[in-house]
Amino acid sequence: MADVELQGLTKRYGDQTVVNSVDLKVGHGQLVCLLGPSGCGKTTTLRLIAGFLEPDAGTIRVGDRLLSGPGQALPPEQRGMSMIFQSYALWPHMTIADNVAYGLTLRRLDRAEIDRRVQTILEVTQMAAFAQRYPGELSGGQQQRVALARALVVQPETLLLDEPLSNLDANLREEMRFEVRRLHDQYKYTTVYVTHDQAEAMTTADMIVVMNKGRIEQAGTPVQIFEEPETEFVARFLGGTNILRGRHVGDNMVQSGAIALSCARGRAGTGEVAVSIRPHRVELHTAQPAGDGRNVATAQVRRQVFLGVTRDYLVTLEDGTELRAITTTDVDIAAGAAIWIRLPPNHCRALAS
Amino acid sequence: MNGAATQAFGGRRFDPSTPVFALLALLLAALIFLPMGWLAVFSLTDRAGHLTLDHFAQLLSDDDMVRPLAVTMIVATSVALLCTLVAAPMAWLIARTDMPLARPVRLLVMASFVTPPFLGAVAWEILAAPNSGLINQLYRLAFDLGRESRLVDIYTLLGLILAIANYTFPYVFILVANGLDRIPADMEDASSILGASRWRTAARITIPLVLPAILAGTLIAFLQAMNNFGSPAIIALPAGFHTMTTKIWSMFQYPPQPGLAAAAAVPLLVITIMLLRTQHAMLGRRGYAVVGGKGGQSRLVRLGWLRWPALGFCMLVVGGAVILPYAALVLTAFAKTLTITWSPAGFGLDNFRFVFFEFSSTPLALKNTFMLGFAAATVGTVVTLVIAYVVSRRAVPGHGLLGFLATAPIAIPGIVFGVGLFFAYTHPPLVIYGTLAIMFIAFLTTELPIGFQQFQAAFRGIHIELEEASRILGASRLRALKDVIAPLIVTAVVSTWCFIFIAAIRELSAAVLLYTANTKVLSVVIYDLNENGELGSIAVLGLLLLVVTFAIIALAYRLPRAQSIPTSA
Repeated sequence: MADVELQGLTKRYGDQTVVNSVDLKVGHGQLVCLLGPSGCGKTTTLRLIAGFLEPDAGTIRVGDRLLSGPGQALPPEQRGMSMIFQSYALWPHMTIADNVAYGLTLRRLDRAEIDRRVQTILEVTQMAAFAQRYPGELSGGQQQRVALARALVVQPETLLLDEPLSNLDANLREEMRFEVRRLHDQYKYTTVYVTHDQAEAMTTADMIVVMNKGRIEQAGTPVQIFEEPETEFVARFLGGTNILRGRHVGDNMVQSGAIALSCARGRAGTGEVAVSIRPHRVELHTAQPAGDGRNVATAQVRRQVFLGVTRDYLVTLEDGTELRAITTTDVDIAAGAAIWIRLPPNHCRALAS
Repeated sequence: MNGAATQAFGGRRFDPSTPVFALLALLLAALIFLPMGWLAVFSLTDRAGHLTLDHFAQLLSDDDMVRPLAVTMIVATSVALLCTLVAAPMAWLIARTDMPLARPVRLLVMASFVTPPFLGAVAWEILAAPNSGLINQLYRLAFDLGRESRLVDIYTLLGLILAIANYTFPYVFILVANGLDRIPADMEDASSILGASRWRTAARITIPLVLPAILAGTLIAFLQAMNNFGSPAIIALPAGFHTMTTKIWSMFQYPPQPGLAAAAAVPLLVITIMLLRTQHAMLGRRGYAVVGGKGGQSRLVRLGWLRWPALGFCMLVVGGAVILPYAALVLTAFAKTLTITWSPAGFGLDNFRFVFFEFSSTPLALKNTFMLGFAAATVGTVVTLVIAYVVSRRAVPGHGLLGFLATAPIAIPGIVFGVGLFFAYTHPPLVIYGTLAIMFIAFLTTELPIGFQQFQAAFRGIHIELEEASRILGASRLRALKDVIAPLIVTAVVSTWCFIFIAAIRELSAAVLLYTANTKVLSVVIYDLNENGELGSIAVLGLLLLVVTFAIIALAYRLPRAQSIPTSA
C-alpha cells in the first residue's frame, strides 16, 4: 500500500506562506484533485510532493518512506513518481517514441521490453500512428496524450498532474477529462491532480481538496463538496451560490433581514452567519406560497434571461439583497413583476462566516 | 528529526553546485574588482603612495585635460543624435514599409555592425585624406585642379563624427527594428479598425511604442562613441586633437602619468554606468514596447513614389558605412601605389606578398590573435554557460550575484579596463604584464556579458519543465543536463563561441595598452601600420579580418536551428 501522506506541510517564500500546514492523506489508487484559484498554493503543494521544492516544515511520506522533511528532500528522480506538466514538457529533439521510452531507458529495461511497453501505451492513448513524429508536429491534444503516455508508461507509484488540460481548447478539454479518468480506472495509480477548473475536478476526482490561501478549506467527495460546503469560499468557488447574511437565533433558525430562515443543514455557530442557497434551488411564486411564512419573502424581478434549457433570474428582496434564481423555462415572469420567493429549508445551508 | 527519517534519505550525495558557485563567484569578482580596485588606488594616490585628489583636480583644471573631455562630449552627443536621426527612420522603413531592397539593405547594416570601427576609420582615411584621399584625387582629376584643392577632409571634428557614426548607427537600428518586430500586429490593426490611416497609425501607435527603444539606442550610440578609441586614434591624432580615450592612451606613452590616466578613466566609467542604468530603466518598463506579444504579420505601409527617395536615403547611409569603405580597402589592397591609376600595371599582389611573406610582424600577430580568440571564446563560452544555467535555474542561493558579476563588465569601457588591468597585473602578486595571459584576461572579461546574455536568452527558451520531466522520470540532474539540455543548447553554444571569437579578434582599445613586442595582435599591428602610413598592408590585413569575421558569421547562421519548442504556456 502506498498512501501519500502530507503532515503539517508548509512552504514560505520570504515572509509569505504559500503552503500553510497542509495535512492530507491520499489513499492507494485514489485520484485526488487539489482545486483552488490561482495563487492558492496547489501547484506549490504538488511541486513539494514531486521534490522540486523542499518544505520549510512538515513531512511527505509515501507508504513507510519519508520523502521530504524540513531542509531535506529526496531528489525527484528517486521518488518513483511521474508527472504531467502544464506545458507538457515534451522534449522537442526526441521523437514521440523516444519521449515515451525515456523513463524506461532510465530504468534499464532491455530494448525489446521497452519497445513492447511503448507500443502498448501508445495504443492505449491512441498515439501509435505518431510514434516517429516530433512533438512540434503534433496538435495540442496529441501532445497532451503523449505526455500522458510518457508519464504512465513507467508505471509510477504516484502520478502527479499539474493543470494538464489548461492549454487545450474547450471541446478537447472536455474530452480529455474523461480520458484522464478512463486511464486512471485502467491503471489505478495513486494520483494527485492540480486544477482550477471545477468541472475538471468533478469529472476526474475521487476526492476534491479545495485550497485557499495556502490552506485546505474542505476535502471530500465531489458530491459532499458541492452539496455540503462548509465555508462561504467553498460554496462560492464551486458552482456559485447566493449568500444571505443574518443572525443565528437558535434551533437552526437564522434571521436575515425580514426573513426567518429555517436551515435544515449546516454547522453554523452562534452570532453572525451566512446562509448559502444555490440559484437552482430558489423557487419563484406569483402567489403567496402556503405554509407558516418561514423561508418566504416578497421580491421584485429585476432581470430575466431565457437560456434555452433554463431561465436565469435576478431578483431583489425588500432590503435590497440580490439573489439569482435558475428555473425551468416553464416559469416565465416578466421583469418588474412583484413576486414571492421561497428558499426550501433542506437546501439552505448555514455557514460559519 | 528522528532516526528513521534520517535513514530514509540515506547518505546525502555530494552536491557539487555550491563549490562550483563559490569558485565562479570568486573568479568573476577577481577578474572585475582587481583591475577596478587598482584603478581606484592609482587615481587617488601620488607617486609616493599618499592619498591625494590632485589627479582629479588636474583633470578639471588643466586645459590639456578639459579640452579632450569637451571634444569627447561633443563627438558623443553628435554621433548619438546623428545615429538616431538616421537609423530610427531606416529601421522603420525596412521593418514596416514596402521599400524595395529591404533585405539587402538590412544585410549591409549588419556588415557595418561587424566592421571594426578602427578599420572603417582607416578606410575613410584612404577615401578622404586631404591629399591622398581617393575622393579628393578624383575631384582634382575630374576638374583638373591643382594639388591644394580638396573636396573633403577626414582629419576634422566633423570627419571624426561621421567616421564613428558610420559604425555606430547599427546599434540604434537593431534596437529599433527589434522593438518594431515585437509590437503585436493587433495593436496596429486595432488602430486601423477604428478608422486611422496607415500613416496615422504609424505616427500615433507604432512610433510611440518604439520610443523607449529609440531612446535606448541613442544612449548606446552615445556610449559607443564616447568609449571608442580606434577611430579618434586614427583620425583625431593626425588632426591634432584628443578625445578622452586617446588622451588616456597618450598618458601611457613617455613620460607615463599613470595616476592621471587612472583619474581620467573615472569619468568614462561613471558616465557609462549611469547611462546604462537609464537605458535599463527605459527598456525594463513592463507593459511597454519591448514586451513581447503574439499576433500575426504586420501589414506594410505603402510608400508610393516615396519609396525611391527612401531607398536612396538608405543607400546613402550603407554606401558611406560599407560600400565605399570596402571598395576602398579592396582597391588599396591590390593597388601598387596610392595614386589613382587606370592602368592594369598599377595593380598586383605586392601588398599581399609583403604582408604574408616579408612583414615580420604578421605571423606572430596572426598566431597571437587566433590563439587568443580561440582561448577567450572557448573559456568564455564554458564559463558563461555554467553561470547562465545556475542563474536561470536559480540553482544556488545568491545566484543573482553571479548574474550581476557576469554582466558588470558591460559597464567598463575597453580602455578603462585596459588601464585597470595594466595596474593590476604589473604589481605583485600577479605580474603577467607582457604575456598573452593578460590579453586573454582582458578579452575574456570584456566578452563575458555577451556570452551570458546569449545563454540567458537560450535558457529562457527552454522551459524548466522539460528538465523536470526528465528528473521525475528518474534522471539525476547531470543526466537531465546531458539528455535534455545539451541537445537543446548546442546551437547557442556554437553561436556564442562565434560571437566571442569575432569580438576578441577585433579588440583594440584594451589591447593597445597591454601589448608588448611579443604579444602584438592583428588590431594592434593595423594600428601600428597606420602610424607609418602603410595603407596597402592595412587593407590586406583588414580584409583578412573581415573575411574571417564573415566566414564565422556564415558558419553560425548555417547551424540547424533547434526544433521549435511546443511550450506556449
